[in-house]
Amino acid sequence: MDARFVETLTPFLPFLHGETITEDTPLRTYGLDSMQAIELMFALEDSLGVSLPDEALVEETFATAGNLWAATRAAQGADAVTAGTESV
Amino acid sequence: MSAPAQAAPAPAGFSSALSASLRAEVDQVAALAARHATDHDDRAEFPLAVLDALRPRLLGLLVPTRYGGPGGSVDDLVDVTIELGRADMSTAMVFAMHCQQVAAIAGHAGPRLAAELLPEIAAGRMYLASVTTEAGKGGHLMSARAELGARDGLLEIDRFAPVVTGGLHADGYLITMRSPQARSDGEISLVFARRDQVEVAQRGTWNPLGMRASHSIALQLTGRVPEDQVIGEHGAFRRIAMNTFGPLAHLGWSAAWLGTASGALARVVSVLRGPERSRSDFSSELLLTRLSTARQRLDTVHAMVRYTAGAVRRAVEEDADLSHPRHQLLVNALKLTASEQCHRAIDDLVTALGMRHGYLKDSPTGLERALRDLRSAALNYSNDRLHLADGRLTLLDQEVRYA
Ligand SMILES: Cc1cc2nc3c(=O)[nH]c(=O)nc-3n(C[C@H](O)[C@H](O)[C@H](O)COP(=O)(O)OP(=O)(O)OC[C@H]3O[C@@H](n4cnc5c(N)ncnc54)[C@H](O)[C@@H]3O)c2cc1C
Repeated sequence: MDARFVETLTPFLPFLHGETITEDTPLRTYGLDSMQAIELMFALEDSLGVSLPDEALVEETFATAGNLWAATRAAQGADAVTAGTESV
Repeated sequence: MSAPAQAAPAPAGFSSALSASLRAEVDQVAALAARHATDHDDRAEFPLAVLDALRPRLLGLLVPTRYGGPGGSVDDLVDVTIELGRADMSTAMVFAMHCQQVAAIAGHAGPRLAAELLPEIAAGRMYLASVTTEAGKGGHLMSARAELGARDGLLEIDRFAPVVTGGLHADGYLITMRSPQARSDGEISLVFARRDQVEVAQRGTWNPLGMRASHSIALQLTGRVPEDQVIGEHGAFRRIAMNTFGPLAHLGWSAAWLGTASGALARVVSVLRGPERSRSDFSSELLLTRLSTARQRLDTVHAMVRYTAGAVRRAVEEDADLSHPRHQLLVNALKLTASEQCHRAIDDLVTALGMRHGYLKDSPTGLERALRDLRSAALNYSNDRLHLADGRLTLLDQEVRYA
């Protein structure tokens, strides 16, 4: 997980109390509720420039930091491909 | 799409493959519920005789065949609940909410617990009550205040439950609580407690506007249960709620409301066409329009119930993820629509029929009780709360695709 991702995620986990975020960190347990999940999505768009596709917005994606990171990476990849095509 | 060539014609009221003998049983229970309904409503008493009639086969409807049940589907649940609702909404709710608990056990309990409970449910010995509402958080399903204790391999339950349908008569409870040492209110476990494992103390009395026979009293539950009575694992309730609890609750409730409103409309038509026919002015455009509007509302709800049941059944068969916003939105929209439209339909009929057959308790139309019962629909998991959730889900489904 890259530093910018972790930095974006941290304020959305009010019960983290200084613990380190790992791939296994359960997001719901650390306080990410459904309202905050939306805010987090917007924050990821702003800081990393990725937009998670509708298909990725299932409970599983928000289950752990690792899952959300994987979805973010996949979306980054997809965005890169789209950008590439556009620049041709 | 080709129609199945040799499908047996479904008898009136049933769309699913429910066996003929089960159907006959549903008719008998519905007749019994109809006979007792006025009495239990008057006295705000739980319909124990009706529960006993549900026990032999219907309480086990959703138990899979490998555990000795008939392996009923979500469509069967809808069919049976509508038929019971035609007779008595409290009975239909008791049945539908029990089935919701059964589905949670069948879908998510560990093998030991499933092997213990499901055969008992199939045998009619285990009527399950639901404990999700909590003081302080209202109906907010995805949060819990009271925490499970964990000591010596046992889980300690000490839980105030302000609304438990049939709570004094249940053989077991599925209870939501904060997981042991939870970090946040969102970490919730669903735990099973057998009646003899907990002390069940009634708090207060039950004297509501409607749903009087549901006997949804306040209870304090205290006791200790083995660790493996957690359904799924600790913290799994969110997943269970999205995939099973939520969909089946909204489908079951909506079927109960639709059944109630359908039964009432049927009785209205029968009064209008009956011996007092000459008292009605069938050329009245107001009367015709009100009948039409009521029927239109019910056909809308019926179409949504059937469509949603199909979507949920397919998702279960394909092991698809019901947590996707478009699925949640469909299931929630069903609840919102059914709760509003069934109530409105009956309200319209009261206006259409007027004082005598619309407002008096002893009219054979039963509109008075149906209206009081259906008033609970919007409260039973508050529509306001559901709209807030749906607003968030709408933001998540940018492309606006439908389940
Ligand atoms: C007939 C019947 C049977 C029931 N049986 C059971 C049962 O067996 N087991 C069980 O656990 N529960 C049961 N319930 C409870 C039900 O599931 C709901 O939880 C309950 O009706 C909600 O109670 P409430 O209106 O006090 O709480 P709330 O949901 O908190 O609503 C209270 C008020 O707050 C408003 N509101 C809306 N959104 C919010 C929000 N985000 N935050 C705060 N307030 C908000 C609502 O509009 C409402 O006016 C039953 C209810 C009924 C009517």
